[in-house]
Amino acid sequence: MPKVISIHSYRGGTGKSNFTANLATTIALQGNRVGVVDTDVPSPGIHNIFSLEPEITTKTLNSYLWGQCAIEDAAYDVSANVGLTGDGKVFLVPASVRADDIAKILKDGYDVKLLNDGFRSLVKGLQLDYLFIDTHPGLSKETFLSIAISHILILILRPDKQDYQGTAVTVDVARQLKVRKMLLTINKVHNRLDFDVLKQKIEKTYEVPVAGIFPLSEEVVQLASEGVFCIQFPDHPVSQEFRKVAQQIVE
Amino acid sequence: MVDTGNLQSLANSMTAIASPFRSYLNDLYHKYRLLNQGTVADYIPELALAKPEWFGICAVTVDGQVFEVGDCDQLFTIQSISKAFVYGLALEDHGREYVNSKVSVEPTGEAFNSIVLDENTNRPCNPMVNAGAIATADMIKGSSTDRLKRLLDMFQRYTGREHNINVPVFLSEKATGNRNRAMAYLMLNFGMVSERVEETLDLYFQQCSILINARDLGMMAATLANGGVNPITNERAIDEHYVQDVISVMLTCGMYDYSGEWTYRVGIPAKSGVGGGITAVVPGKMGIGTFSPLLDAKGNSVRGIKVCEDISKDFGLHLFNVAKADRNLKDWIEGNNIADDW
Repeated sequence: MPKVISIHSYRGGTGKSNFTANLATTIALQGNRVGVVDTDVPSPGIHNIFSLEPEITTKTLNSYLWGQCAIEDAAYDVSANVGLTGDGKVFLVPASVRADDIAKILKDGYDVKLLNDGFRSLVKGLQLDYLFIDTHPGLSKETFLSIAISHILILILRPDKQDYQGTAVTVDVARQLKVRKMLLTINKVHNRLDFDVLKQKIEKTYEVPVAGIFPLSEEVVQLASEGVFCIQFPDHPVSQEFRKVAQQIVE
Repeated sequence: MVDTGNLQSLANSMTAIASPFRSYLNDLYHKYRLLNQGTVADYIPELALAKPEWFGICAVTVDGQVFEVGDCDQLFTIQSISKAFVYGLALEDHGREYVNSKVSVEPTGEAFNSIVLDENTNRPCNPMVNAGAIATADMIKGSSTDRLKRLLDMFQRYTGREHNINVPVFLSEKATGNRNRAMAYLMLNFGMVSERVEETLDLYFQQCSILINARDLGMMAATLANGGVNPITNERAIDEHYVQDVISVMLTCGMYDYSGEWTYRVGIPAKSGVGGGITAVVPGKMGIGTFSPLLDAKGNSVRGIKVCEDISKDFGLHLFNVAKADRNLKDWIEGNNIADDW
């Protein structure tokens, strides 16, 4: 049974795209066919982590939304880019970074039903086991839709007052949208904080389970989105934490 | 606690888009859009302008959730579908006894435009055949200018938006409506319509020319399914006592000469029109509106019939069905794990 997982945060800079890329890759490494869609239309970025250059991506999510192609035509097999061999695959549907394309969407908008139909078409067409949706931060019609259709919603927050407040709002909204399963992930946690105490405090505050806690990592910062961290540093604590989160998804 | 009016409304529209039921309707749409059987009505040139590929499906639940696929914005003339609703207004104006004394409620095997009145009582057979619809229109209270406004206001209560008339269609219908004119005068002879027969004919032709779309048809049916109250605006469109009258004549007489087989096979009270629309009422649950101008020999929309047949069968919506259906409507609308169709 295919599973759809949305990765979201109220604020920007929480590490959504890196989290999505690493979690998707971790699950693909286990032999699964995984799709990733970048629905962050105003500020696309995850294609960088998968080393998919804009010069190659003539068809994007934007093209599909404007009725120029089927969504499968905008899906790129990035398995080789991340060093995947065997059954596991990662397909990425990128959003366009061309300013004119972004402006067109801002100007003309698009029918959000198409996004919904596109996700379903992609899962069926590519026979995906998992579909990850990387979202734009904050509340928008895309995030509402992603939350409404997902089997699992993962909310990312940093131990930061702005994130705490924003996450409370998002959790409320998600409950209104009758989200099926919600998990929190705490990212960029500095080493002065006690991880267990933090986990308990957050679980208690939001009444939502915490799937993983990721330390603020110099190595992640240094990689600077030039690749998928858990492929390059498979034994790093951050990569281990991804495997822990992946286990909770796959069950 | 935060005020959730806007949030709830946006959440509703998102969950409707995301629901497996909408995905089901999308599959139905793709299944039947390639079905090119039937012909576009052309008894007046304006109707012949309809494009055969136009096709829309809209379902609205009594909770106010709207599921739509295809050309649900495309306007077309309501034609005979208006008859069921005008019948409701006539009942509100005069009550059952008076209305039944002018129009019977027997399904007839005759064509919709036959010049036939009941032998003993001289009443037209039912409000859905042209003669019956003219007699019903005659009963609508008001001056010549009021009556059309009352009809348009009524449709607004059902759909939640204002409606206009396709004037070229109205003028064409009026110019070619000699059978209707003959029936009206025959009924005048027997006292089934009043002296203002020309005004009534105008009103009848105008009523048939009211512009609607598939979404409107879904909304109208949902309003009836919801006991006469529009599920989104919460405005009452028809007195609760007459909801049963409108729905029962739809069930027995709503699909022209196909009404018997329709009731047997599909079992959902419905009304069709030669503009290509069908409105179908699942009492207590939802309304379905379809639009496809390709008509079969009996004047019903080919694709519309197929869509309603499938929905009735797949979700067990036949009014008298007791067997367990393949799919549970509530599960598919709410999208819980049982109905997950990824």
